[in-house]
Amino acid sequence: MRLDGGTGPADEEEGVIPSVKSPVTGPVRVEVTGLTKVFGAVRAVSDLAFTVEPASVTGFLGPNGAGKTTTLRMMLGLVRPDAGTATFDGVCYADLPDPVRTVGAVLETAFHPARSGRNHLRVYCRAAGLPLTRADEVLTQVGLADAGDRRAGGYSLGMRQRLALATALLGDPAVLVLDEPANGLDPEGIQWLRGFLRHLAHEQGRTVLVSSHLLSEVEQTVDRVVIVGAGRLVREGSMDQLRSGADGAGTVLVRSPDASRLADALRADGTHVALVGETLTVTGRTTAEIGGRAFAAGVELHELRPHSSGLEEIYFQLTAGQEQYAAAPGTAEETPR
Amino acid sequence: MTALVRAEWTKLFSTRVWIGLLAGALALAILSSVLLTAFAGNQESGIPPVGDPLYEQLALAGPANSVVLMLVLGIIGTTQEFRHRTATPTFLATPRRGRVIAGKVVAYALAAVPFALVVTAVNYAVLAVYAGSRGEVPALTDDNLRVVITSALALVIYTVIGIGLGALIRNQVGAIVGGLVYLFVIEPLVRQFLGDAYPWLPGGALEALTATFQGPELLEPWQGGVLLLGYGLVAALLGTFLAVRRDVA
Repeated sequence: MRLDGGTGPADEEEGVIPSVKSPVTGPVRVEVTGLTKVFGAVRAVSDLAFTVEPASVTGFLGPNGAGKTTTLRMMLGLVRPDAGTATFDGVCYADLPDPVRTVGAVLETAFHPARSGRNHLRVYCRAAGLPLTRADEVLTQVGLADAGDRRAGGYSLGMRQRLALATALLGDPAVLVLDEPANGLDPEGIQWLRGFLRHLAHEQGRTVLVSSHLLSEVEQTVDRVVIVGAGRLVREGSMDQLRSGADGAGTVLVRSPDASRLADALRADGTHVALVGETLTVTGRTTAEIGGRAFAAGVELHELRPHSSGLEEIYFQLTAGQEQYAAAPGTAEETPR
Repeated sequence: MTALVRAEWTKLFSTRVWIGLLAGALALAILSSVLLTAFAGNQESGIPPVGDPLYEQLALAGPANSVVLMLVLGIIGTTQEFRHRTATPTFLATPRRGRVIAGKVVAYALAAVPFALVVTAVNYAVLAVYAGSRGEVPALTDDNLRVVITSALALVIYTVIGIGLGALIRNQVGAIVGGLVYLFVIEPLVRQFLGDAYPWLPGGALEALTATFQGPELLEPWQGGVLLLGYGLVAALLGTFLAVRRDVA
């Protein structure tokens, strides 16, 4: 299933003056076609095709074991696909004349424990022919300037994520690929990451692809989604398109000492209501509609708040039963190692 | 390629592994020379007395005892990428994986030269003092000089073999244990029971390279050196062949 690609940045970001600092290589479009990988008896990725557009953040979503990490690794030439290609402006990763300046990737938060963060970055400055001062610049960019001389082995998980992101940013790439970058970040870090990714995409015109198994984690960050389940494409399109499908599926939570009377009033309109004690869960009505109905019926309210936007339900329906290892606990690893 | 070699040097010198292995190589070389000198001329040990050409060449070949540590240095050079999962950023920066291995071979061969010089120089200094006090300082001429140079060369070549072995066996512990078992168990067994094959093995080639008085069964020194280097390069080529095919997951 494929919705047509609404590719523009989210509305509220339009009109922002583009930042002066843009990637040297210009906008790069990522195209995946027919990507397939089989591990033994498991088809980890099956004939997967999607595109990632410049100047927007694309969420790559799916449950654990859906083949997200394998797909990203195939796109970056680390895992050999059994079929299909992934190209960056028409060129495979391994054939890019200057891969570090074209694509930056956060796949791994593992580092040599005895090497300092700064030296880790300097290794890749050397390998890519970048000036060593880039290491200091990206350390500052991700907020690790003070920790640069400490051994990476002593970093917290959040600091490792930041160092991995710094490594990806070294070449000032036009494309950023991030695999579950929010893992291990504290709420402040996640907030910062969201703003950072939107800035890179909307103000600097970069192409950003970010994977997650939680829609709620990236819901506020991404403009487009590519949803996969069991290695296959489930849906591709803009968040707005996904949201329109979610209309009417949202729920509102209501608490009232007179809950059963309010439930009756709402049910009289044909609204779906679940009643547990003093709490109502109302589906398909806005808080304003419910508040108005309660006022008209003279029912006292103690709480009235949106419970879910309905997007999570849509996402769950799309991916339900698609986990490769749904029935086997303890196999939450993304790829067979 | 210069960029990749420099990247490998940054990796090598930004952790302290090299200090420990250099110290170990020094200790092993000095230990062998000191023991040799202490028992030189002792009837029961069978070691010729200080001043005898055979004694001098055995003592000057002391650094060749440290090849095992240079082997480990090379093994760690490649296997650390897999042990600490830095193979991902390394292959992202250089998707042509053969170039990564070639960069390691060049970087470690060049880095091993000063290592070998330090070990050789310190070993000679120890001999100059100790053997000097017991009779005669070995002169650095003719055969003696050849032994010094080939021993240093052996250290460099074993580092390259280590890189190749590490590329073949990506598991660090497996590669090191495998290397040690080969050197200290398999090769002595082959030497004892399959003597004809021994000259063609790395140990036989090493002995030929640094040999003081060539046994009839050994190759010429230069042949031994070429054979040793060949082992290292074949391992690196096979390792490259596999590295290009294996998934980095």
